[in-house]
Amino acid sequence: MVGIPRKLLTSVLCAGLILCLWGPAQAQTSLVVAVDSAPRMMNPHGDDSDAGLSFMANFFDGLLQRKGPEGELLPALAERWEHPDEFTWKFYLRKGVTFHNGNPFTSEDVKFTFERLSDPEVSEFINTGKTIESIECPDDHTVIIKTKTHIPWFANNMHQIFIMDKESTEARDPGEVMVRPIGTGAYKLVEWVKGSYVTMEANEDYWEGAPQIKKVDVRPITESSTRFAALASGQVDIVTGVPVELFDKVEKNPKLEVSRRPARRSIFLAMGNKEGSPLADVRVRKAIYMAINEDEIMEKVMRGHAFPAAQIPDPPTIGYRKDLKRLPFDPEQAKKLLEEAGYPQGFEVTLTGPNDRYVQDKQIVEAVAKYLAKVGIKAKLDVKPKSIFFPEVAEGKLEFYLIGWFDGTFDMGRTYSKLGHTRDEEEGYGGLNGANYSDPDIDALLESTFDMVDVDEREKALQELNRMAMVDKIVWIPLHYQEDLYAVQKDKGISFTPRPDQWMVYKEITRQ
Amino acid sequence: MGTYIARRLVQGIIVLLAVSMICFFIFRYTGDPVVTMAGLYATQQEREEVRRMLGLDKPMIEQYGLFLWNALHGNFGKSYVTRVPALGLILERFPATFELAFTAVLIAFCTGVGLGILVSIKPYALQNRIIMAASLGGISIPTFLIGILLIMVFSVFLGWLPPFGRGETVQVGFWRTGLLTWSGLKHLLLPALTLALYQLAVILRLTRAGMREVLAEEYIKTAWSKGLYPFSVIFKHALRNAMIPVVTISGLQFGEIIAFSIVTETIFQWPGMGNLLLTSIYETDQPVIVTYIMIAAVIIITMNTLVDILYAIINPKIRYD
Repeated sequence: MVGIPRKLLTSVLCAGLILCLWGPAQAQTSLVVAVDSAPRMMNPHGDDSDAGLSFMANFFDGLLQRKGPEGELLPALAERWEHPDEFTWKFYLRKGVTFHNGNPFTSEDVKFTFERLSDPEVSEFINTGKTIESIECPDDHTVIIKTKTHIPWFANNMHQIFIMDKESTEARDPGEVMVRPIGTGAYKLVEWVKGSYVTMEANEDYWEGAPQIKKVDVRPITESSTRFAALASGQVDIVTGVPVELFDKVEKNPKLEVSRRPARRSIFLAMGNKEGSPLADVRVRKAIYMAINEDEIMEKVMRGHAFPAAQIPDPPTIGYRKDLKRLPFDPEQAKKLLEEAGYPQGFEVTLTGPNDRYVQDKQIVEAVAKYLAKVGIKAKLDVKPKSIFFPEVAEGKLEFYLIGWFDGTFDMGRTYSKLGHTRDEEEGYGGLNGANYSDPDIDALLESTFDMVDVDEREKALQELNRMAMVDKIVWIPLHYQEDLYAVQKDKGISFTPRPDQWMVYKEITRQ
Repeated sequence: MGTYIARRLVQGIIVLLAVSMICFFIFRYTGDPVVTMAGLYATQQEREEVRRMLGLDKPMIEQYGLFLWNALHGNFGKSYVTRVPALGLILERFPATFELAFTAVLIAFCTGVGLGILVSIKPYALQNRIIMAASLGGISIPTFLIGILLIMVFSVFLGWLPPFGRGETVQVGFWRTGLLTWSGLKHLLLPALTLALYQLAVILRLTRAGMREVLAEEYIKTAWSKGLYPFSVIFKHALRNAMIPVVTISGLQFGEIIAFSIVTETIFQWPGMGNLLLTSIYETDQPVIVTYIMIAAVIIITMNTLVDILYAIINPKIRYD
């Protein structure tokens, strides 16, 4: 490439690209992708994990969608929406959209979908479903949704509520609905052989225009070394979830290209503040924060695939503050703080964490325990599988634990009401406040944001809440954001930009 | 024989009951499915509603009774994760596992017996000593290592064979087979080899031991001195008598391979029952786990009984009274 001016090269490439777009459609562009988790079902409401939604986003559309590196909220099945009063959301639906079976998309389908959400037999979005008071369809292309309480982030969630066809969902056997998706999405399901592959073909009548890649073959390979072997042997074009321990091998391989982006998920430590326990003293919380050498964790445990976090939300989330800084790593100061708080000899605490959920989760917990030991805090390790860990979080049984989070709504309010608000069964707050943290100031400030409609006002209030939680109260100790790693075969003309939510949306991928 | 089979049947039912009870109670303590099923943002009340829907709020004994009653009617409950009947979910995976196990046993049996005979004829020849030493490796190297090594060599370095999955499959009635396409066969080779290696080594050593014992017998010496062809002496006179333990072991192993090829299926992402079991354990999908273990118990009990019966047919000296 030496000697060719870069500008010239770029313009030739661009011209080529445009020519390709203009030129006659290529014979069947196809793509083979290996993903790290298998779909559980083809029912868009039965699995609220991003791994599941990632498949569904190709067969179905939400009223809204998210695109771009920052996850910008854009119209999809609804062309625009209004929020006339604090309980009402009005969506104007797109006209002329059809489902894969030819049925027209109307407001009745939207009503049916939202009513279906609160049925625990078929839905994991019962929380969203149950917050809805009524759904009205004044005409075929308008929907008015009223919520029971004020939910400022209601529209922000509309990219993950996928609209189903009322007629065919009701008419078909429930078992059939679980395996055969009928949506409005950019792809139609060709075949799903459980445990083996999912193949899809382009929906030529897609309302956004037919996708460029006509055939997609998705192969779930949960075993990371096998996924790597599939990539290295050239069997697949794109691989998601490259494990950090194999990253160097992938990067050294001349046939592969690595695609990386900061993940939205932050990893942090949560603590209770039961009266009389050492953790109730903010000086102790600060001491723990300062005793942890996060730089070393990122370098040694995460092998450089992490970004420091000074708060729980990530930059695109409403409530994120640029000016928050991590407390410095300073074990001497930590010891002093412990002494001031009346624990010169330290104390004992149980540190819980999952061992099969986040990147290097068990190793991080072990490292934290070691740092704490150096300032005199004896952390008893209690590391367990996520299937046991999360129910314990839900029941509020823990004292001090590692957890990771990101919010699909891009609004910090929902996260805080589940993770940081005092547990309240009546109101449904604090459902995942695993160590029973409770602070009246945090609760009051958070509750005051629930009826804020104006985005700017909301942002200001949430930023203030964030500052209070991170600086004054040390509600949580943030550690880092994970990094999402993908690998793509070079020289196959694939253009792929990872999404912030880790979904694989194939209409956004192109191939020469 | 009739009373024997009847007795085995009764024993089998008792074993199944015990297995179901143990699994049912153990896997209740491996995690709570409600938190996932209600969704990440569910409130406590919503979680309770899901718990009621699943019947998990009832006392354990009542839950177990209900499970047994439904199981008697062929209903093993719905998977918590995929929300379809657990039995169907597992049976759907059976062809893949059966084809893998069958191919593995076939490879192990043919190669094992063949090499066993070869080695027993000239036990002290150098190449035969090497085979025996290698068979020790086959017994002692764990399956996951063999699998990963085979993938490294044949998929990553040489690029000859695909490292994962079943390749193209064809639906024949209810059976989805990979044996009828070239791609299916290519995908089958590595996992089948991995699974076969241990069995191969065991069968080889058994055949060798049996053959060496039989070859020293008087009637074999008589056969040689009569001037019979070596083929006739080895296969007709010696091998048939050396085969009884080999057949027994192969039969028993076949049942076990079907039920427990979990490691191999995971490494090669083979879409069989073992792979499903492991995923289900990760996701606390209790109905699938319990149903799977019950099916595995049925397979193993059936295979054992069949082997016992076959044994009596091959060797008339054995009697079951």
